Amino acid sequence: MRRALTLGTTILAAGLLTSVASADTYGPFPITEKSYSGDKTNSVSYTGQVARSVLLDSLKSLAGQANGGGNAAELKATMMKYYAGSDEDLPIVSHKSKDGFPIKQTTLHEISKGKNVSGKTYKGLVPGWPGNMTGGEVMEHLIHHASMSDGGFDAANGYDYGQLIQKFGLGAMAFNQAVDNYLDEKLGADNKPNNKPYSDGAAYTGKEHSWDEAFGYFGAPAHALNLEAKQAYNISKKKDLAAGDANGDGVIDLKTEMTFGGAYYAADADKSGTDYLPTITSAFIEGRKVISSADGAALTDAQRAQLVAYAETIETEWMKVLAEATFKYAGSVYADIEKIRADKNNVDPDLYRAYGKHWGELKGFAMAMQTGKDNIGGTAVRLNRLIGFSPVTLDESVVTGIDADGNFVRDAKMSWNAYQLNMLKVQDLMIKEFGVEARKNDATENLAELIKTLDTDSGGAETD
Amino acid sequence: MDFIDQILSLFSDFSNPKKRVFVGYLGLSVLIALVWSMVVHRTSLRAALGRIFDRKVFFSGSSFTDYKIFFINRVLMGFISPILLTQVAIATAVYMALVRSDLTLWGAYEEAPRALVVGLFSVAMFVSDDLTKYLMHRWMHRWPALWSIHKVHHSAETLTPITVYRVHPLEGVLYATRSAVAQGPVIAIFYYFFGQSVDLYTIVGVNILIFAFHVTGSNLRHSHIDIRYPRWMEHILISPAQHQLHHSIAEEHYDKNYGAALAVWDWLFGSLHVSEGQHDMAFGLDPCEESSATDLKTLYFAPIWEWRAQALGFARSVKARMSRASGKQSDSGWQEKAKRVE
Repeated sequence: MRRALTLGTTILAAGLLTSVASADTYGPFPITEKSYSGDKTNSVSYTGQVARSVLLDSLKSLAGQANGGGNAAELKATMMKYYAGSDEDLPIVSHKSKDGFPIKQTTLHEISKGKNVSGKTYKGLVPGWPGNMTGGEVMEHLIHHASMSDGGFDAANGYDYGQLIQKFGLGAMAFNQAVDNYLDEKLGADNKPNNKPYSDGAAYTGKEHSWDEAFGYFGAPAHALNLEAKQAYNISKKKDLAAGDANGDGVIDLKTEMTFGGAYYAADADKSGTDYLPTITSAFIEGRKVISSADGAALTDAQRAQLVAYAETIETEWMKVLAEATFKYAGSVYADIEKIRADKNNVDPDLYRAYGKHWGELKGFAMAMQTGKDNIGGTAVRLNRLIGFSPVTLDESVVTGIDADGNFVRDAKMSWNAYQLNMLKVQDLMIKEFGVEARKNDATENLAELIKTLDTDSGGAETD
Repeated sequence: MDFIDQILSLFSDFSNPKKRVFVGYLGLSVLIALVWSMVVHRTSLRAALGRIFDRKVFFSGSSFTDYKIFFINRVLMGFISPILLTQVAIATAVYMALVRSDLTLWGAYEEAPRALVVGLFSVAMFVSDDLTKYLMHRWMHRWPALWSIHKVHHSAETLTPITVYRVHPLEGVLYATRSAVAQGPVIAIFYYFFGQSVDLYTIVGVNILIFAFHVTGSNLRHSHIDIRYPRWMEHILISPAQHQLHHSIAEEHYDKNYGAALAVWDWLFGSLHVSEGQHDMAFGLDPCEESSATDLKTLYFAPIWEWRAQALGFARSVKARMSRASGKQSDSGWQEKAKRVE
């Protein structure tokens, strides 16, 4: 009897564990599309989004190959293939295997065919960049200048094009597509309904695939909920094979096991105590369960209301992730200027390069924040004015616009001091408007450090 | 080992130059007292030593109570140490308010001579600390609720350097918070204008002005050695005798000399009383204060009962006022009715 009881308990526990484990990952989810006649058993699919993340990251890597103009035409042509798409099977430039961290795919077609960045880039105006351009035009402008730069860097204007392209793209492509398309109009009752396949012959319904695509743009590994923030972060850094290799086949499958873009920055913030990655991933998984539970029938209003609530959580938290990154890099730029000002007539080139990199990340994220579903209005104006069109460059001039040929014009001066103060104000704005909590590179930490160093205890509690 | 460390940590103030009872300052205080007794009162070394280390003072019931309170509060205050956090929070809030303001002077004086910045900062920190000590101490005497807890300190009938620790724990918290509130904004303002060049002139890690206060006998304030300064100087610096007068039981000395290091605040706000050269002044409280020099239970709990009584008294007076006010209203209502009937 006792043995039977023990056995029963074990089976029950094992069953519970299995169900918990499967509930903790984004997929597999069953096929519910009634018209599907193939042999697939998993309805989850977001390889197109993974391919786009890889294209975007590859653009950043390619920018680094610019050699000061010598290979400009050729490099621009290559970069445009990654941006606008190509029939060729492009090699993956960004995520390559390294010792101890083998990656399963080496070319784009191994992930998905016929994908590009351009078709999914924000079509609205980007006020943070000179020239009154749309998101797509800004990307092409950046690619054009990147191809002529020196290793992706334009010292005269202080631009790190690789960083600008990638970070802006995280908003203009991934964030925008997810929150302003898949989690917005595609949640409508008549848009991509759940009682029809997403496209003829597909193994997934309209709603299933819309939701999957949004998750794909977020960039979390399917097993993100089983990971610590540091592990999720280190997968992207190619430092933790064991954490990434969920199926234990010894290689990282970019389709399901890599941490990309938004998820990577969520994990980065979470290392400082926030829980963006699990919150967003859970909302995605729970939402997907709601869709699966409809079993291929049209979603009821109540089910769609549930999805809208999850979508709101995703959008709010993702926006905070972008704000955290903006905060972090404003702090980096602040710290860089502190060092530059110590000897501003003889700035170390490496320091200036790092400053340009951090500024590119800051600017990219600040522009990314303005590509979401909601117009952030006055906050965007303040952010764009504080950060400007460029960092303060070595001669203390800043970019004020572009000429008719698209070249940058720097005809205003700004002191290092004033710009450093702006960075502090950017951080303040992120706290006030978005309630950022991780607060990496908090510039007021210098003040806290000073207070600790001063150790001004003057017998405060002594009473006369 | 941990236990021994914890016991030793109870005495850490004696080895910390930031604290008044640091052994170095105590030693110097003895030296100053010796010189004062032998030169001013022309006593022998033996008589001076006998006077300084008077058994009747150090072994009195009141002094033993000081020692007990020292230990009890050290243990209690071990749990209350987020003062540094408070200081950082206050400083950051003030700093960010300045950053957000229309004042465009962030780091404007960063290029100012470092010696000037450090000098100004050291003085500003000292002055703000001393002024807020004065104000807090004044309120401690003037506001009944605060006097209930500050009485614990004034119930001492003999004064020794350890009397500085004879305080109700709540007063300790208030004083430590005061320190954060006083210094946080000063640090923030200097950091806003002068940036990273902000620093203090220190000796053994202590603001040089506070160091000066301690090496010139701050410990003698709580002692029976009535060192006086010239009359003019007692308008600027509080002498030990002036502080002893503050502890005097005599009615004419009530609410005088609240100052810590500087006497200018007392002078400015009308609470200064220069020393009178009285020997063997009686310290402590009037019996009507219903405190005790030695009973720990009274010292720790009486303030709480007094607060309760004060709160009940306040509630009664509010109730009385409200009922008077509503009485008037109903009167006028009655008059209205009467008029209408007419």
